Amino acid sequence: MDAAHIRNFSIIAHIDHGKTTLSDRLLHRTGTISTREMEDQLLDSMDLERERGITIKAHPVTMLYRAKNGEDYELNLIDTPGHVDFTYEVSRSLSACEGALLIVDAAQGVEAQTVANVHLAMKQNLTIIPVINKIDLPHADVALAKQQLEDILAIPAETAIPASAKEGIGIEEILEAIVERIPPPKPTGQGSLQALAFDSYFDTYKGVVTHVRVFNGELKPGMNIKLLHSGKNYEVKEVGSFNPKPYTRPRLELGETGFMTANIKSAAEVKMGDTITDARNPAPQLPGFKEIHPMVFSGIYPINTADYEHLKQNMAKLQLNDSAFVYQAETSVALGFGFRCGFLGLLHMEIVQERLRREYGMDIIATYPSVVYRVTMTDQTVKEIDNPAFLPEPNYIEKIEEPMVKAFIICPNEYIGDMMALVSEKRGTLDHTETLDTKRVMLHNLVPLGEILIDFHDRIKSITRGYGSMDYEHAGYQASEMVKLDMLVNGESVDAFSCIVHRSKAEGRGRALALKLKEVIPRQQYQVKIQAAIGGKIIASESVSALRKDVTAKCYGGDITRKRKLLEKQKEGKKRMKSVGSVNIPQEAFIEVLKT
Amino acid sequence: MLDSCDGRVGGLYVHVPFCAQKCIYCAFYSEASSGELIQRYVRALIRELELVAPALKPRTIFFGGGTPSLLNLRQWSEILSAMDRLNLLGAEEFTVECNPATVSLDKARLLREHGVNRLSLGVQSLDASLLDRLGRVHTRDMVFRSFEILRRAGFDNLNLDLMFAIPGQTLEVWRQTLREALALGSEHLSSYEVIYEEDTPLFQQLQAGRFDRDEDLACAMYEELVERAASAGLCQYEIANFARNEKGASPKSPHSLPTRACRHNVNYWRGGSFHGLGPSATEYIGGVRTRNWANTQRYCEQLEQGKRALESREELAPFARAGETAAFGLRMVAGWPFEDFQRTTGHDLRREWASDMETLVRRGWGERSRESFRLSPTGLRFADAAAELFLR
Ligand SMILES: Nc1nc2c(ncn2[C@@H]2O[C@H](COP(=O)(O)OP(=O)(O)OP(=O)(O)O)[C@@H](O)[C@H]2O)c(=O)[nH]1
Ligand code: SF4
Ligand SMILES: [Mg+2]
Repeated sequence: MDAAHIRNFSIIAHIDHGKTTLSDRLLHRTGTISTREMEDQLLDSMDLERERGITIKAHPVTMLYRAKNGEDYELNLIDTPGHVDFTYEVSRSLSACEGALLIVDAAQGVEAQTVANVHLAMKQNLTIIPVINKIDLPHADVALAKQQLEDILAIPAETAIPASAKEGIGIEEILEAIVERIPPPKPTGQGSLQALAFDSYFDTYKGVVTHVRVFNGELKPGMNIKLLHSGKNYEVKEVGSFNPKPYTRPRLELGETGFMTANIKSAAEVKMGDTITDARNPAPQLPGFKEIHPMVFSGIYPINTADYEHLKQNMAKLQLNDSAFVYQAETSVALGFGFRCGFLGLLHMEIVQERLRREYGMDIIATYPSVVYRVTMTDQTVKEIDNPAFLPEPNYIEKIEEPMVKAFIICPNEYIGDMMALVSEKRGTLDHTETLDTKRVMLHNLVPLGEILIDFHDRIKSITRGYGSMDYEHAGYQASEMVKLDMLVNGESVDAFSCIVHRSKAEGRGRALALKLKEVIPRQQYQVKIQAAIGGKIIASESVSALRKDVTAKCYGGDITRKRKLLEKQKEGKKRMKSVGSVNIPQEAFIEVLKT
Repeated sequence: MLDSCDGRVGGLYVHVPFCAQKCIYCAFYSEASSGELIQRYVRALIRELELVAPALKPRTIFFGGGTPSLLNLRQWSEILSAMDRLNLLGAEEFTVECNPATVSLDKARLLREHGVNRLSLGVQSLDASLLDRLGRVHTRDMVFRSFEILRRAGFDNLNLDLMFAIPGQTLEVWRQTLREALALGSEHLSSYEVIYEEDTPLFQQLQAGRFDRDEDLACAMYEELVERAASAGLCQYEIANFARNEKGASPKSPHSLPTRACRHNVNYWRGGSFHGLGPSATEYIGGVRTRNWANTQRYCEQLEQGKRALESREELAPFARAGETAAFGLRMVAGWPFEDFQRTTGHDLRREWASDMETLVRRGWGERSRESFRLSPTGLRFADAAAELFLR
């Protein structure tokens, strides 16, 4: 397709405002999928996405659309995730586009990720088409949403298109606006191919399938290409697009979006944001994007130590499709051999763990998540610590710094007080307040990352009955009084339960953890003592009393088979517990500790 | 082992699948009776006896249920004379389970005349409100009365079944039941903790949170039981079984069974063979376990066509079977004499289970001598956990 008839755009919004549902509509309306294939949230193809009703990975699709002017256009859409953990997916997707559809839920209005994502789009100079979605809802307030666009985001209200992805209202207008308002791709003026690698997944037969956007020249099978970052050359095997399934095309031309395979065996060879160019006549690097770094770390261990190698293989496989996930081998006194893993956030962590459990059938336990602390030793060396087990003894430490984030909260005026209380409970400080409109404010805060990980977002949601939202960006390190909290089971420290906490919170957490462990550790044939300690000093103590007998049931000839099967099942169950010292700790204990 | 020297099976279990009313904790296969079906069952059972008779020379017989005593005089005499004709009578131990509500002197005499020499009374509790709570059809008075009748009919080997840790049962109520039951002076006592079997009303009540389980109370009741039984001269020989050791009979070894131990049940725990007849009955012959249909209608249909009514069959690999035999044998206070185990299973506890025995000894749950391994009194309380260890 000639560039004048190509439009590239992402769909961005706050979580749940209807990006995926609108994408489905566009696919349907353009005939990319038939009525028969139509199902809700079609693009959320991963089981986990469907189950949780959220988008985790960006999904590109190519559509053909005959506009009112009678001409045919190739529209390349990228549906993006809304959750904060996956902001990097949004910025990558945006870098492949000239425009963005900004969806705003008419009943919720502009929320934190709406603001964050609009800023991302503006930074890249993209044309923004605002869509006020869900106008079918009884409490939809289109006028207010439009007002917020103007006031908060400086987007002219009259450019917004009212729509309902659910009812199919406004779809035509949106498609026309895409054609009319979003500029067609322009060549960069270089002499040869420049394509941006903005995503990838792994295919067992084809190797790495790289998502590309051609910015200059064209990409076709048989070409010799160079990846500028690694400097490696490859021969292109296939190029194509998605509908939403991958299909091959003879070439990808200037301005087009799709995929490329080139027998690339390892995902590590293709750095996201890299430029693909002609091997014989290389063109310069495209802007690309910032590298992402994991923010949250946790240990993942096989329940059954014999599964270590198997887990390692599966982690490698998972990483092929999720380059944001990192891991390296580590050992734990309590849990044996496992891996220290890095994630973008807590949701990302949960998703990786769940995929390992479900898609790869691994029995795993995960340790309490930690952020990366910066520890300055008395000899002035600086260590980065992401595992409580490696925190040096206090007398060697001069200071500990913790990562901070600038967190902004948007909420209705009446919740300002509650939000401020929450921020201070989380050891944050309010920097300033910004009035958004007559009803809502934006609070700018500085909060330790470690504090917002666990339940900050949920608390905001529940306090504001769903009308508050939060987003954050990283804001360097700050010195803080952190201590290591140890949990002991029958006198043995279980490193998997250890964490680094602020001194002011250590005791409360120690007590809560001890109590929780008491609940989830089943009674055993001897007493189990649970203690929380800071630097050797016991601050909380609980015990699980000893079980004094099994059920002394009768058992005759006809009961034997059933009883044996029951015992076999129990035996199997115990294999899936971790024994620490002589205490069997069930998997739930590790999961519950994460929730405490 | 009850296999007769001529290779014929020495144990016979017969299931009578009828009860006057279903108790709320009961997961046995039984249903409220209809006269016609009982009659049909009796005919089918006789057919089944005929089918297995050639391979059977019973040394112990056990009629369980259900409620065998629910069969009337005529039905009993039909069954017993068929057994006579088939040369199945004359067992050393012949037990019939009775419900205290269905005992009569005539019936007791008839059984006795045909060689039944042991009766087991399903008492469960002597507390009126608990009997009611459990859905038992009999009263406490009926227990005393029927015990008396059975003695009068000449039975000198009687068992009482008692249950503890019944929801609502206090320690005091349990003591009182034990006191009264032991005062009757039966030769044998079976006493076990309530089990919550799925698909029973009691289980559903537990699920619905109508009451809580109190493990410490159950434990106190068990301790009470062991203590009281001992002082009443009943010797524990299995987790839930106690029997009198009659004077004059000098035990051969310190671990041998009390004279009034139920030998039919001992055969189960020792991995011995037995035939199982009647709906839902299990049998175990030559390492193969089969089970009859738990459906009286279907059971009768099959037998009317001259076939056994087998629903399922299980044959474990030899090592797994030995593990099972090891596990269940440990329920007995005498544990496993190594020689006996080897003779029964072809495997040696001292070799393949050495580390498991050691684990238990270290925990204080097991006692190992040159000849045998057995659970300690503490170990007996954790017989399930121990059994789990021995499974293969
Ligand atoms: N009433 C109404 N509901 C809608 C409309 N559009 C989407 N929804 C509902 O809003 C919910 C979220 O829709 P999604 O399309 O998954 O939202 P999303 O923005 O893709 O969500 P994330 O990918 O998790 O950020 C679903 O329950 C949709 O059915 C609409 O126009 N009207
Ligand atoms: S009498 Fe025995 S078999 Fe019948 S329902 Fe009650 S407990 Fe079950
Ligand atoms: Mg979505």
